[in-house]
Amino acid sequence: MADVNLQQQVRLSIPAQAEYVDLVRLTLYGIAHQMGFSFEDIEDMKVAVSEACNNAVLYAYKRDGGIVDIVFNVGDQELELVIRDEGESFDAEEKTQEPGAWHDTPLEDVETGGLGFYLMQALMDDLEVNSMEGRGTEVRMKKSITFSEEHQ
Amino acid sequence: MNGKKFNVETTQEGNQLTVFLQGELDLAAASEFRSFMEPLANDGEVSLILDLSKLTYIDSTGIGILISILKARSEMNAPLQVVHIPAQVQKLFDMIGISKFLASN
Repeated sequence: MADVNLQQQVRLSIPAQAEYVDLVRLTLYGIAHQMGFSFEDIEDMKVAVSEACNNAVLYAYKRDGGIVDIVFNVGDQELELVIRDEGESFDAEEKTQEPGAWHDTPLEDVETGGLGFYLMQALMDDLEVNSMEGRGTEVRMKKSITFSEEHQ
Repeated sequence: MNGKKFNVETTQEGNQLTVFLQGELDLAAASEFRSFMEPLANDGEVSLILDLSKLTYIDSTGIGILISILKARSEMNAPLQVVHIPAQVQKLFDMIGISKFLASN
């Protein structure tokens, strides 16, 4: 278990606009690479963190000027990402309950809603979503380092 | 922040149209790509090939567009092939359960 006292924190605040989400991926890459995550794990986390940011960009704010805060809690063997907006409302918790994959679905019935949350859950070790009516959404996700020998 | 991280190139041989996706197909690139693909996806006269060899990133936004292309082609019974899928992208397709639609085309 990661010792909370040893955690270091990197914080990033971006405008809630699509063209800034790439900046979150670049920062994530820098941190995760330095921590020793495998290429595959970094790619997984890039998708997961982008999905959380995309949701904030698309659904959180009904006005211009919204901000998305991303906190990187750097543990010894674990990275926790916290993606937070202060948007008006968002049915995030409800969305996480929806099935997101289409393994047994015919093509004509495939709908893309809920896919982002499905991917976050599938790609990370741990996912927690808290939405407060009128006070925004906080998504917390964690991934531990798996050693590359295990993949070879 | 207007540096383009995603672009497409097309080549045509006879009625076979290949679209090469290059770079990061994310939320920022989505609407332009969707508009670009719409007339091509709805053109039943061409045999459409999507070449993903240079696609370095995709998330649910991009996957949603690929699904709508698949649906459009399937409804028209028009040919579509998705080729050279990078391992990381294939992993997402498998995870989501859309590989079977790609394989059957």
